[in-house]
Amino acid sequence: MTTATIIQSLASGLLMGLLYGLVAVGLALIFGLMDVTNFAHGEFLMLAMYISFFLFAFFAIDPLLSAPLVGAAMFVFGAVAYLFIIRFAMRAKANIGMVQIFTTFGLAILMRGLAQYFFTPDYRSINVSWLGGKTISFGGIFLPVPQLVGALVSLAAFGALYFFIKKTDFGRALEATREDAGAVALVGIDKNRVFALGWGLGSALVGLAGAVMAMFFYIYPDVGASFALIAYVTVALGGFGSVFGAFAGGIIVGLVEATTALIMPPSLKAVGIYAVYLLVVFIRPRGLFGSI
Amino acid sequence: MKINRRHLVIGGAASAAVLPFGTAARAQAKEVVIGVIYPLSGASAQIGVDAQKAFQTAAELINNKYDYDLPLARDEGLPGLGGAKVRLVFADHQADPQKGRAEAERLITQEKVSAIVGTYQSAVAVTVSQICERYQVPFLSADNSSPSLHRRGLKFYFRAAPHDEMFSQAMFDFFDAQKKKGQKIETLALFHEDTIFGTDSANAQLKLAKDRGYKVVADIKYRANSPSLTAEVQQLKAADADVLMPSSYTTDGILLIRTMGELGYKAKNIVAQDAGFSEKALYDAVGDKIPGVISRGSFSLDLAAKRPMVGKINDMYKERSGKDFNDYSSRQFMGLIVMADAINRAKSTDGEKIREALVATDMPGDKTIMPWKQVKFDAEGQNTFADPVLLQYVGGKFVTIFPEQAAVAEAIWPMP
Repeated sequence: MTTATIIQSLASGLLMGLLYGLVAVGLALIFGLMDVTNFAHGEFLMLAMYISFFLFAFFAIDPLLSAPLVGAAMFVFGAVAYLFIIRFAMRAKANIGMVQIFTTFGLAILMRGLAQYFFTPDYRSINVSWLGGKTISFGGIFLPVPQLVGALVSLAAFGALYFFIKKTDFGRALEATREDAGAVALVGIDKNRVFALGWGLGSALVGLAGAVMAMFFYIYPDVGASFALIAYVTVALGGFGSVFGAFAGGIIVGLVEATTALIMPPSLKAVGIYAVYLLVVFIRPRGLFGSI
Repeated sequence: MKINRRHLVIGGAASAAVLPFGTAARAQAKEVVIGVIYPLSGASAQIGVDAQKAFQTAAELINNKYDYDLPLARDEGLPGLGGAKVRLVFADHQADPQKGRAEAERLITQEKVSAIVGTYQSAVAVTVSQICERYQVPFLSADNSSPSLHRRGLKFYFRAAPHDEMFSQAMFDFFDAQKKKGQKIETLALFHEDTIFGTDSANAQLKLAKDRGYKVVADIKYRANSPSLTAEVQQLKAADADVLMPSSYTTDGILLIRTMGELGYKAKNIVAQDAGFSEKALYDAVGDKIPGVISRGSFSLDLAAKRPMVGKINDMYKERSGKDFNDYSSRQFMGLIVMADAINRAKSTDGEKIREALVATDMPGDKTIMPWKQVKFDAEGQNTFADPVLLQYVGGKFVTIFPEQAAVAEAIWPMP
């Protein structure tokens, strides 16, 4: 094992981790806001990747340029999903947790099925983006440009989200609703609008992730599954309800995955992630940065 | 998926007509029901959807008159059963062995199928064939390649196509031949997914490498459908073997080649155990990065030059699916022909009689669309006369390069 190998692993792990973080932040935001785990999160990612793909296939818009468009489209999709589906699930009189799980889970299966029906199960990919396949290398370390850009987008998106939550009125309303949804209703804030905004934001973030990933990952109806599982672990590791925790969790997961693969057979690299996860939950059940 | 109301009505009426009479009446049935079990949703759904078209093409050939030198093509339906037509019932196993088990049971007990063909994933073939054995319904692996499948002492298991040991053997024969020509091939790197397909394939290759004096410098087992293969590729790059030998399904194959490009690793040569590397989707995505990749196969469109019927049947398939036959769809097509031929000779839909007919199968190679010598099963239900070929991806399509008697071009070695 040379120094270059180790640095390469850590660099790859960090790039992947930032992406995991970006996928997980949206999930954490929605969970933190209203205690709903969106089991269709992976399918939201899949949809974003397809939107990016079709924008490229039909209008030749590079995924890098289409990322804001995909984010905006997913914002609308997320808000609509809340207003037309989740809102009604939240009204359940009994077993509300179960109803939410089955609603979002059902949404996931529906989205997968529709994707297979309309987009066919063929594996798609975007080959000729500006950055696709380009790599920067120095001293034996290779950094793929699409992932590098993805990492920068991820950092920028997280920065913007942080600013939005801390510095704007709507962000403060979001925080307040998170703290006490009942009380904010008393001061005239429409809970449903805030929740819809939260779903929109969370979906926009996963939309950005999808657009960036379309540059270097294959796209098919089930693509969300492998990322969603990691996103759930990431959120739990970083701490339920903490957007910052989810982001940090993503980076940790990426790095742990890379280092595990260095010292163990690669087929066991997921073991490292779950070992660290179990350790964290054992010592600190609410996760590293969790407040709940 | 084209199931329209007419099919449902016909299907419903037919099964209603057949049900009350039991086995004796079923023997005279106007149709023979065959279960086809594939991943129609999930990660490998595209394989299943393409497979459906391959089976429908075969059923069309069997049920109507065509002037091809292929069993049952010249008759309408199965003459041995009074012209009974073949009806296919498709089931979706979602690449999950447990769902495969349940679907096989449903096909047998509720759909009353006379035989089952499947399954793409070898891991699913394991459970489906066990259910078939229990109900004494013949099962034919159309495209499963794990060698362990036919070594379980099952009486109702059959496979007309080669398995991974035969395929791997062809690869090592090819290496030996290249070495004789003065090429340097000393080190190999194995890269395989962690289900039965990848594991069996790697075991066969490890054994052959040891027997024939090749050094395996990396043997990397990875988790199927991983979000990232960076660590794996890094190890392959460090090993930098003379030949990289992947056994991967399509998604992982695409990611592997992409990641190799990103990490600045260009393999000297790639000889793939088919699967993802025979899929059009992989070449659409990353074909430009691997000019000259070699994959094993049991089909090549080259054969159409020698047997024009192959080209014509390929056109029929292409009209349905928009794709040429590949290694999978060709084996799926032949799977149904072999099974229907046996049912026809059995003159019965009884499981034991069909099994006996399968055992007695003796189909000359030129009556298939494959480069096989013959279809004849050994005591374990394996066709040992199914000659594999090696294909090289050159100029956007596959050409046969090995063995010599089937080759239409010299191998370009090392890869360009």
